Amino acid sequence: MAAYKEIIFAGSGGQGVLTVGLLMAEMALFKGLHATWIPQYGSAMRGGTANCTVKFSESYIYNPSQEEADLLLAMNEPSFQKFLPMVKEGGTIVINSDLVDPAKCTRTDVKLIAVPCSSMAKELGHMLGANIIMAGVVVKATGEFTEEEALNGMNQVFRKKGKEKYETLNSSALRAGFGFI
Amino acid sequence: MSTVKGEMIKGNEAIAEAAIRAGARFYAGYPITPSSEIMEYMSWRLKEVGGAFVQAESEIAGINMIIGSAACGVRSITASSGPGISLKQEGMTTLSDEELPAVVVNVVRYGNGIGTLLSAQCDYHRETRGGGNGDYRCIVLCPASVQEAADLTVEAFDLAEKYRMVSVLMTEGALGQMMEPCVLPEMQAPKRFEWGFDGKYTNKKIGIFDRDSMKEAVALNAKYNKVKETEQRWEAQHIEDADYVFVAYGMPGRATIGAVEQLRAEGHKVGYIRPITAWPFPEKAFEQVNPDVKGYISIEANATGQLVDDIALTVMRQGKKKGSDCSGGSCPAPVYCNPHVYGVPSTKAIMEDYAKVLSGEMKEVY
Amino acid sequence: MAANANTNTNTSVKTKVNIKPRKVPALIDRPMSFCPGCGHGIIIRLIAECLEELGQDDNVIFGIGVGCSSLLGGGLETDRLHCSHGRAGAVCTAIKRVNPDNVVISYQGDGDAYSIGIGETTSAAYRNERFTTFVVNNTNYGMTGGQMSNTTMPGQKTTTSPDGRDCTTTGMPLRFPELVASQFDAAAYVARGSVSTPANINKTKTYIKKALEAQLSGEGYSVVEILSSCPTNWGMTAPDAMKHLDQAVTPHFPLGEFKTRANEQREVK
Repeated sequence: MAAYKEIIFAGSGGQGVLTVGLLMAEMALFKGLHATWIPQYGSAMRGGTANCTVKFSESYIYNPSQEEADLLLAMNEPSFQKFLPMVKEGGTIVINSDLVDPAKCTRTDVKLIAVPCSSMAKELGHMLGANIIMAGVVVKATGEFTEEEALNGMNQVFRKKGKEKYETLNSSALRAGFGFI
Repeated sequence: MSTVKGEMIKGNEAIAEAAIRAGARFYAGYPITPSSEIMEYMSWRLKEVGGAFVQAESEIAGINMIIGSAACGVRSITASSGPGISLKQEGMTTLSDEELPAVVVNVVRYGNGIGTLLSAQCDYHRETRGGGNGDYRCIVLCPASVQEAADLTVEAFDLAEKYRMVSVLMTEGALGQMMEPCVLPEMQAPKRFEWGFDGKYTNKKIGIFDRDSMKEAVALNAKYNKVKETEQRWEAQHIEDADYVFVAYGMPGRATIGAVEQLRAEGHKVGYIRPITAWPFPEKAFEQVNPDVKGYISIEANATGQLVDDIALTVMRQGKKKGSDCSGGSCPAPVYCNPHVYGVPSTKAIMEDYAKVLSGEMKEVY
Repeated sequence: MAANANTNTNTSVKTKVNIKPRKVPALIDRPMSFCPGCGHGIIIRLIAECLEELGQDDNVIFGIGVGCSSLLGGGLETDRLHCSHGRAGAVCTAIKRVNPDNVVISYQGDGDAYSIGIGETTSAAYRNERFTTFVVNNTNYGMTGGQMSNTTMPGQKTTTSPDGRDCTTTGMPLRFPELVASQFDAAAYVARGSVSTPANINKTKTYIKKALEAQLSGEGYSVVEILSSCPTNWGMTAPDAMKHLDQAVTPHFPLGEFKTRANEQREVK
């Protein structure tokens, strides 16, 4: 199971973490991998927090639920604190450093990637693209995708949803994230 | 290259679309988490295909609307979760009494009373024993993947109509909410069954006070026995030489297979039976199990252990068939129970359960 | 045949030359076991006659309530579903939705439609479902032995209000047609009739017919409540029960049309 990965996407409602998670799963599927996406749902999603777990693998995924994450994307402080213990030793944490202070990371056995994605989105002129930038960072961090694979996977999803008019903006956001590390 | 097929779709939406493709043309229900996506999907999709959709004032009204449409010979489906299905029991026993086919989806959530929104398997006993007043059974199908949820939706209709009874698709919150690739079933032309009402009194009927309840009960029981004999469904592997056999369905069943694969890779002689029909319980699967099996282990998402009862009953029956009794030293294998309360147990947790059984730390419940 | 009982009561009336031989409508030409003096037999006869006159007796589905209405299950020669207690409003909603070309009728008592089934009855009216509801209001639960219902009269003795209904703790008798007419603007036709006298029976028949016509032309929900006698549980003779209907029950439940079909004048009383 060389390509097996478990990723948690967490943030506040409206930060687009469920979409980023789904993009990740679609990219994996686009590459021919098995993929699952499972959200936290119900009343837990009210009051501002949202998260989902994505797994992808070369073989069948027996357990789609959260077990031990290889990677965590934390878009805000509460998500960062909540999911910090769930990342496995040697795992990677990607934080939105515009909202999360990297100095608050109490773990030394993980790799921390601080991305000022909100500021970057502003610079790109794509205010709603912070999550796409993060998708680029996360997909690169998995080490399983080329930039082309990631781009094609993402654009296919938005085309299916009939949202191809943002393709140029989204592509540049994804590239910015992919190239960040 | 991988052989992964299909598109990412939510479990609940896959069920809804599969129902449409199976020819379902009526939905009535009441929203409840974590099942509501089925109803939401049906609200626009049925309109597209010329079906009827009613947002009922209550769960009870919803299931009674299903009775009305089923009585007219239309493929009908409703969905809810734990507490909502409690309210629907009145209609489900009436459907069973009238021998009307329908599909009821229970996207199970954990808890008594109003409960929680957590994914669980706490409604096993209710679904497999009938649930409402009286003396009936429903066919209970338990998917473990989005693909299986879609496929079993179609099968649920076929079985319901073949036997003129209710099929319950007993899924779980986690499966309803998750997305994974799925190939949706082929579109079928909608059917109108000839036994339905047409306003012309084509099919004669007698009043309730003229019915012969004894005769009906005997016939109903014969039907249920036929279903037990012919409709057991399960998935099993590594059971012929297994020292221990895991039994689990749905999402925990799927997770258990992962744990069994890992344990096998580590040299443990373990196997699994994953019931796909919870009723009829797949007793036949147990006939293939190593006669010298040392124990059965249930993995389930409830607190009290429910599936374990059916395992124990089956093991006891098989022991009797073999003519063994405890005096000769070959009594039925012990049955262990691992209720994880809610959620989907991790591979690690299931492997820990197994270690506890081996070490003797966990005692059998039967 | 029991269904003929109501016809026979007319034979003692002074003979006119041109008496028409009255034929029992085919769809109710079976014995029914309502109590002597019960209004159900009259009402079901009126419905059957209207269906026949409208040419719909071979195009009708009944949702039958639980209670004395249940006896209809053995008496009707037509498609019918014996619904769970109070649920005919929901069942008929679905039947009419999937079989819009059939005439769909819910036939219920006051206990069924207004107590245990108040949610289903009101919601069907609220959604303006295109079927017709007939509620036989005899101010008690007849089948189960005469318990208090939502339409039991103030002070009325029943087996669960042995000292007479105390409305301060049990509520006032519910007037459903008035509720529909005043709150649900889309409803097509709403009326209340009675079986107390030949005149009222004839008037009730016109209400029933208009309700069915409203359904036939797709105008919307229609409901007719019919005040009916229950000599058995009221502890009265049949003639006294009919008098009681006029003298005690009708004052609380006014007769007439509360909502007329859009193209008709409101009946002048």
